Amino acid sequence: MTAAPTLPVGTWLRVFVRLFAVQGSYNYETMIGNGIAFAAEPAFRLLPGGRDGAAYHAAMARHSRYFNAHPYLAALAVGALVRAELDGEAVERVERFRTACCGPLGAAGDRLVWAGWLPFCSALALLAYGLGASAAGVLVTFVGTYNVAHVALRAWGLRAGYREGLKVAVALGSPVLRTGPLHVARALAVVAGAALPLVLLRVRAAHPMSIGVELGLAALLAMALARWQARTDGWRVGVVLLLLFFIYSVVR
Amino acid sequence: MPIEVYRIDDRLVHGQVVVGWGQPLALGFIVLVDDQVAESAWEQDLYRMGVPPEMAVHFESVAGALSRLPAYRLLPDPGLLLAGSTAAMRALVEGDPDIRHVNVGGLHHRAGRSPRLRFVFLDAAEEADLRAMRARGVEVSAQDVPGAVPVPLDDLLTRSGG
Amino acid sequence: MMEPGTLLMLTALGAIVGLDFVSFPQAMLSRPLVAATLAGAVCGNTAAGLLAGVLLECFALETMPFGASRYPEWGPASVAAGAVAAVPGADLDTTARMLPFAVLAALAGSMIGGQTLVWLRQFNLSVAARYRDELAAGDASAVRSVQWTGLVIDFGRAGAVTAIFVLALVPAREALLGGLNAVSGPLSLAVAGVLAVGVGGSAVWKVVRSVKGYRWYLAAGLAAGSAAAVLL
Repeated sequence: MTAAPTLPVGTWLRVFVRLFAVQGSYNYETMIGNGIAFAAEPAFRLLPGGRDGAAYHAAMARHSRYFNAHPYLAALAVGALVRAELDGEAVERVERFRTACCGPLGAAGDRLVWAGWLPFCSALALLAYGLGASAAGVLVTFVGTYNVAHVALRAWGLRAGYREGLKVAVALGSPVLRTGPLHVARALAVVAGAALPLVLLRVRAAHPMSIGVELGLAALLAMALARWQARTDGWRVGVVLLLLFFIYSVVR
Repeated sequence: MPIEVYRIDDRLVHGQVVVGWGQPLALGFIVLVDDQVAESAWEQDLYRMGVPPEMAVHFESVAGALSRLPAYRLLPDPGLLLAGSTAAMRALVEGDPDIRHVNVGGLHHRAGRSPRLRFVFLDAAEEADLRAMRARGVEVSAQDVPGAVPVPLDDLLTRSGG
Repeated sequence: MMEPGTLLMLTALGAIVGLDFVSFPQAMLSRPLVAATLAGAVCGNTAAGLLAGVLLECFALETMPFGASRYPEWGPASVAAGAVAAVPGADLDTTARMLPFAVLAALAGSMIGGQTLVWLRQFNLSVAARYRDELAAGDASAVRSVQWTGLVIDFGRAGAVTAIFVLALVPAREALLGGLNAVSGPLSLAVAGVLAVGVGGSAVWKVVRSVKGYRWYLAAGLAAGSAAAVLL
């Protein structure tokens, strides 16, 4: 592959900031397609002919069509697509790439972020709460920890996508994306294992009555919900039970 | 173990498949059936990266899948078969009588397709494919993730986007 | 009754966390832990908001936003829950008795919020359809218009949803304050806590069960947590 043309710092920054709004016009037809074109647009201005050129308009039209991926890893797609357009890749290959990268970027992002980093950070903040942290401490733990990785992932994605172009599978092979979810899941198990009982303990701190019984009940409920997981979502069962208690508390 | 789900999804490997179905079913492998992908190394590289390292992904053409499906069903872990089009799934159903359920997981907007559900857009040929599968006694329903309520084919074909 | 200034600040907070959820910047300000705690702070009772936020966060552990499937929207509902829990000048017992209602209202509100997101997406589609020819011609100003319209409408939507939730739920709280005396604060906390932790526990199990030896990691965490509980 030839070396990637250097993008001006201002272009990088514009694309990067716009990536945070990539889902701003999410809809059921083109999904985040319009957002992809919106984010990549500052870089497309560098195509031959600039903003008035045929290449610019063709690229904008191509990339505002259907696209879907994990919003953070959409950065990887935008980087790769910008590189492909600036390199003058064949249109058919670019189209084929757009189709092929939606799913893998969605899957990798869902595993790493939605089913990994987010619940981990959530559990970490619950642990901070359980250990007695103040409200500010809990919020800083959650928002700070989560977003260090969030912002870094978007920045890495844009750079790696631009560096690899259509060979973005190389970037997707990064250990962070491949084995990262496994390590995060292990850490989640440890942190959540510690956090949930401590949360119950602190929630009940002012009324230390029968915490052993309550921990036992919570564990039983968790196991029952896990067993029924194919049939129902646990939180729906929680809603029904809470509703029954609320009705009891009102009519009693 | 049997193949638990036979899914039509034009995004092929993505989060709903790998996490949404993969985690509750503890999937050990995916059979990805697409004639074009089966011949394209770089696309296979890309799809492989969407699947966790502990989950195997086998790329097959329709003909290859038909000859090897009995062997996949003997693997020790539960699996999921993914086809990118109704035509590919119809060919599989016509060639393999052991496929009894087909899950329409996602067919997205494209010129000529009409909206049926938020995640299902169909053209006339695709509707005919789904009807042909049902005519062979196969249960066809649309469902994106395991927690969603499946929409039976008859219901699906009367909807207009909702 | 709630001061207009407080209502305005809660509406602004709801608009920001609602926009954050999908449209911009997805920094997870929309999570219940953040939204409810900040709402409690706005209402002058941060501790009550935090308590509601922690319980809701346990429930929210189970609903991860996968792909285009339908999911609850926690932000505006959690702002309302934080405001409901933060009874002005209340003691812990009153807050505790109010918590099951706050949590329940937020769970229902999150589903309503999720439905408004469906409407937003349908609206976004109608905007994109209006610009179909311009988009097909690669007109950058059409792309910008579609994007900015979606962002602005989402911001307004989330603010309006929050204001409606707060306006409906705070008077309901006032009506309930006297009527819930039959149930004690400790019992209310125990029920809400057990349900939240139970649901959160099963949610974590679902995520980690595919990891080899996950039981050992969970057990190690439990041991560490128990040790901390004894020592602290």
